[in-house]
Amino acid sequence: MNSTSHKVLVIFTLVLVAIISLFPIYWMIVNSLKTNQEILTGRNIFFVNTPRWRNYVDLWRNINFGLYLRNSFIVCSVTTFFAIILSTLAGYSLSRFKFLGKRVINDSILATQMVPGIVFLIPIYLMFVKFHQLTNIQLIGTFPGLIFVYSTFFVPFSVWILQGFFASIPVEIEEAALIDGCSRFMIFLKIAVPLARPGIVATAIYIFLTAWDELMFAWVLTKANTMTIPVGIRLFVGNYQNRYDLMMAAATVATLPILFAFFLMQKHIIRGLTAGAVKE
Amino acid sequence: MNKKNIFQDIRNKSYAYAFLLPMVIGMLIIHFVPIIIGIIISFLDLNQYTLSLYLKAPFVGLKNYYDVLFNPQSTLRIGLFQAVRNTVIYTICVICGCMGLGMIVALMLNENRSIVKLFRTLYLFPWIVPTYVTGLLWGFMWNHEIGVVNYLLTKVFKLFSEPPFWLIGPNTLFAIIIPTIWRYWPYYMLMLLAGLQTIPDELNEAATIDGASEWQKFWYITLPLLKPVWSILLLIGIISNVYSFNIVIMMFGHGAGFPGEWGDLLMTNIFRNSFNLWQFSKGAAASIILMIVMIGVVAMWYKIFGRNKW
Repeated sequence: MNSTSHKVLVIFTLVLVAIISLFPIYWMIVNSLKTNQEILTGRNIFFVNTPRWRNYVDLWRNINFGLYLRNSFIVCSVTTFFAIILSTLAGYSLSRFKFLGKRVINDSILATQMVPGIVFLIPIYLMFVKFHQLTNIQLIGTFPGLIFVYSTFFVPFSVWILQGFFASIPVEIEEAALIDGCSRFMIFLKIAVPLARPGIVATAIYIFLTAWDELMFAWVLTKANTMTIPVGIRLFVGNYQNRYDLMMAAATVATLPILFAFFLMQKHIIRGLTAGAVKE
Repeated sequence: MNKKNIFQDIRNKSYAYAFLLPMVIGMLIIHFVPIIIGIIISFLDLNQYTLSLYLKAPFVGLKNYYDVLFNPQSTLRIGLFQAVRNTVIYTICVICGCMGLGMIVALMLNENRSIVKLFRTLYLFPWIVPTYVTGLLWGFMWNHEIGVVNYLLTKVFKLFSEPPFWLIGPNTLFAIIIPTIWRYWPYYMLMLLAGLQTIPDELNEAATIDGASEWQKFWYITLPLLKPVWSILLLIGIISNVYSFNIVIMMFGHGAGFPGEWGDLLMTNIFRNSFNLWQFSKGAAASIILMIVMIGVVAMWYKIFGRNKW
């Protein structure tokens, strides 16, 4: 085939795929700025006539979306904080040491990924109920309960990513520090962690995004004042069946913060995610 | 003492365990104890009446498993088998779609390296959209009267005279497969592209000199060299799609309803039975069976693709 026309065809396809791929996001934002009447009558459907910011005000005033947004930020950031500590420690240990039971731990980390979430959900719910009966500490419907579950839940996959990052750091630097009399923990903190920082950042972003996207556990383990965005959206969509304008405004609010964060940190994310595919 | 021994002496092992301890404690509480409790529950009759008895609920042996798998009178079984059928079709279609689209676009981008960065960013946007938003948004787009899909099909491209129903009947499968591909294919593309970029140009150049066609180069050079990437994507795809939940649950009945016999997946089915119909034990039995099947599938994956590339 003629190479110029080939190139034009390829670029054309790429642009077309980009348009189709981005259209739903555009559609979501456009409809969040319309009145429900405009959506239902369907005139001039691809464009905004006069942007109606009122939808977002309603979202905050009538549906208390600010609370959900705040809850999601709290839950996701605290989860990320704890999960990254757990998985950095564990990932370092698994990549650096040889010890009894390492195989078992590695295999169970993989095994947890094969178990459907719902297997854990019912027992965890019952355990929390029991825990409340025994100690009078309520974990259902509170932040600590959900954060505890999340922090552990996202660890196995994170450990798996981080292990690779630590393995790619040359051991010699740490050995030199060890001979100079550095303690193991200081080596970890002052040498290994800074060197693995790109990986840790990527993993943290991954944990945050996964927590932001989690619906099933949040559904069962939150109450009115601790609801995260997915649960809040689900509840309000059930109550306002045909308010497509508000639905799309809520969807936009749930998407834009992380879309923006992704845009700022895409370099880290892409490098972190593809590290496994590239290293051989 | 040589270098390696410094790292392996007994004292250091205590650090290994200390570093692992927080994770192990968490996993014991959140992963292992619940699995054991889940297995126990699947042998009990735990429903809304016996919930307060907790693990002292009446023991019924294998009855739940019988109801889920063999009992012809059990309504649960019919629904579950439909869900199995849908999940199998859904998983296969989504993986093929993501892999195919991801591969084509990755190959195209790899040819035009000057524009990789811009397009890669644009393509990744849908992958950042939360899955519950994906379900909500596409549910609105598939809407019979006001949805944009029917608007495009009937008014803009005029492919149909009557707008089709997307969320009723067998069309439902398309309606859940396409949004899932839309949401996930960028990840496949990203990974495949990263893999493609590691293949040295010399290989393809040498093949060109030897007179290999584009197709032969793809089939005998690119695909085998990308095996570590696509085999992992296959595994991740199987697990994540069989356990897919958010998109379907948000698309139908606004998160509370029944997605219909052609839209119900295993996770939504089991969740509904467990939490809306309070059949915790049957839900547990069904999910334990699913878990065993999935362990079999993953074991098969290991047999075929090995673990050396992990």
